[in-house]
Amino acid sequence: MEILRFAHIILRDFVVHKVVVRKIATGAWTLSVNPGRSACLNGSLQLDRNISRSTFSVEPSVKESTALIYRCHGEPSQVVTLETLKLPPLRSTSVLVKMLAAPINPSDINMIQGTYAILPDLPAVGGNEGVGQVIEVGIEVKTIKVGDWVIPRDAGLGMWQTAVVLSADDLVTVPSDIPVLSAATLGVNPCTALRMLSDFEDLKPGDTVIQNAANSAVGQAVIQIAAAKGVQTVNVVRDRPNLQKLTDGLKAMGATCVITEETLRRPEMKEIFKSYPRPKLALNGVGGKSATELLRHLQSGGTMVTYGGMAKQPVTVPVSALIFKNVKIRGFWVTQWKRDHKHDDEALHSMLEELCTLIRTGKLSSPACTQVGMLDFHKALHSAMKPYTSMKQVLVM
Amino acid sequence: MMRGLTRRLAQAELKRLQQEGTGWWGGVWRPLHHCSALVYREHSASVAAVRLEHLPLPALSKHSVRVKMLAAPINPADLNMVQGTYPILCPLPAVGGNEGLGEVVEVGSDVMAMRPGDWVVPMDAGFGTWRTEVVCEETDLISVPKDISVLGAATIAVNPCTAYRMLHDFQALTPGSTVIQNGANSAVGQAVIQIAASLDLRTINLIRDRPNCGELVKELKALGADYVITEEEVTSSGLHHVFQEVPKPKLGLNCVGGVSGSLVLSHLDYGGTLVTYGGMAKRPLQIPAKSLIFKNITLQGFWMTQWKRNHRQDKACLKSMLDSVYELARSGQLRPPNCIQTPFPLYTQALQATAQRHQRKHVLIM
Repeated sequence: MEILRFAHIILRDFVVHKVVVRKIATGAWTLSVNPGRSACLNGSLQLDRNISRSTFSVEPSVKESTALIYRCHGEPSQVVTLETLKLPPLRSTSVLVKMLAAPINPSDINMIQGTYAILPDLPAVGGNEGVGQVIEVGIEVKTIKVGDWVIPRDAGLGMWQTAVVLSADDLVTVPSDIPVLSAATLGVNPCTALRMLSDFEDLKPGDTVIQNAANSAVGQAVIQIAAAKGVQTVNVVRDRPNLQKLTDGLKAMGATCVITEETLRRPEMKEIFKSYPRPKLALNGVGGKSATELLRHLQSGGTMVTYGGMAKQPVTVPVSALIFKNVKIRGFWVTQWKRDHKHDDEALHSMLEELCTLIRTGKLSSPACTQVGMLDFHKALHSAMKPYTSMKQVLVM
Repeated sequence: MMRGLTRRLAQAELKRLQQEGTGWWGGVWRPLHHCSALVYREHSASVAAVRLEHLPLPALSKHSVRVKMLAAPINPADLNMVQGTYPILCPLPAVGGNEGLGEVVEVGSDVMAMRPGDWVVPMDAGFGTWRTEVVCEETDLISVPKDISVLGAATIAVNPCTAYRMLHDFQALTPGSTVIQNGANSAVGQAVIQIAASLDLRTINLIRDRPNCGELVKELKALGADYVITEEEVTSSGLHHVFQEVPKPKLGLNCVGGVSGSLVLSHLDYGGTLVTYGGMAKRPLQIPAKSLIFKNITLQGFWMTQWKRNHRQDKACLKSMLDSVYELARSGQLRPPNCIQTPFPLYTQALQATAQRHQRKHVLIM
């Protein structure tokens, strides 16, 4: 009877859904809402026999969340702890989401350290992006359905937890026919890459873009999105022991050429630029001398967009580049873009759809990920902060 | 008395330099004109490379014009060209000076746009204005009204026009908005103060500390500056008190670079623009990534020479700008920068002085 009651709740929201409910070995219920997709509900699922038809503002069926919390700013290894949180009651405009996966990005680390531009109130759950599956919706929620995959619309919502109750306005749906790791890492870095390639210079097939931090998640997304548009990329990376492997990997994604920071400074660059037009657009995630070198190779009238500062050094700009080369120096912050377009659903959906199309056609893959369970969060945080790391740490719930 | 004597001596010297010769040309004895010009035959860090020479002038052709120069300032870009550090350089030997005012003396048979007596200024850089006379193509010049002072007209086409463009082309500034700038005592800086005042904009003006600072503050406030503060004071005390009275600036103007440029940038409002038009400190800008990413600051440059080249065919645009600055000059809202007028033959002391700190602008008078 419990099963039937739950199925009743699902059917209220949807016209036709095939619902298969099984109790699996661990004692948890497995509910398949549509063929091929399953939402795993943990053993603490409570099926309330007293649910009435008229109210859907109910106690969430999942009452608790296991979360990575920090109560003060500091080094993640010292301030982040794993705790069980009680979830708030589901409101008519809220959604209960079971998190599936959430990456550890540099901005997540900066938020914990207290150096980021926006800081949530403390205590806070870490993690600014991730993908979850909706397991319950408030009665007034129209745009999101149970079973949907969702990602956050804003930063600071605390994605490093097993379940979360959020306002429907804080979430946007993404297709569930893409790999979960792609969905988990969709909202920040690929969006940054797409916006930078679209909003600053009018790039035509055959044009060139130069970027540093080419091996970062943004860098890899830039390579792939640019390749899909017929735009060539000159990719600057730091030298390292396994450089050939790295170069091969980036070229397999569509990188036109991969060079080290050292090579960028050598006269040989003149030869390299005989093969392609000088870049109109430079993307800088590093700062310092690396950024100055990108500027040197930029075409007159071109733009350098800064989206990160991994070297923790200011961007050095010679005055002559501004006055006589007429370069523009701009910045980009995807969180600000999302906030500016809060009321322009179309813009956000269209960007996500464009990225998902590339994912489905195999033109955009997530960066290489190391999947780590919540219980191993210390290891994940430690690995995420290691220099020259090639693997994105992703917490899987 | 000594000053009067010097002036008379200089005038006599000038007359001697302007003597005409004659020569055989085209089958007829024609008067051959000569001029005196400040010529440099090599690039050099020392202004001693610039020497007074006697140059023959080409004969007038159908489309050319002979112009008597009246006055020409010495601007930083002029010295950079002599030094060979400017991005555009004249073929050597070259006559120095990119800006100045001339009066048309003779026109070729097909010249329509100007007549003898007209006042003209060069259209492009590299003209070579430090000379007593020049023969050039009609299209190298643009005629300007004669109803402002010689000094005003000689110094209007580069610096005040730069100020005008920077105040109009980068941010949509409504009355009551704020602009912040360094190098406020420069020719551009002073023009910015005055043009901004005419547009009902507030200006925050940063200057270097110096012995007679109070006097400079008074001078700039008399031009219409709202706030005149030393960089040292802004660095130590910030601008909180200013921002209680005026909005945070969306436009910053930088001609210094280095630490000073960063200082201007740090006080811009979200989404503001820093426009760089000079680099007097010869130091690059150090821009914190946070300013670009989180404060959404844009950095651009402005170069008047490039603007004029881009708009060479758009005479209306150029004319409209000149009309606006001329109108401000006529109404007294835009005064020429505080200059030291130097008779042309005394060019050496003018050039040497320009290399010093805290100098007023020198204008050569022909």
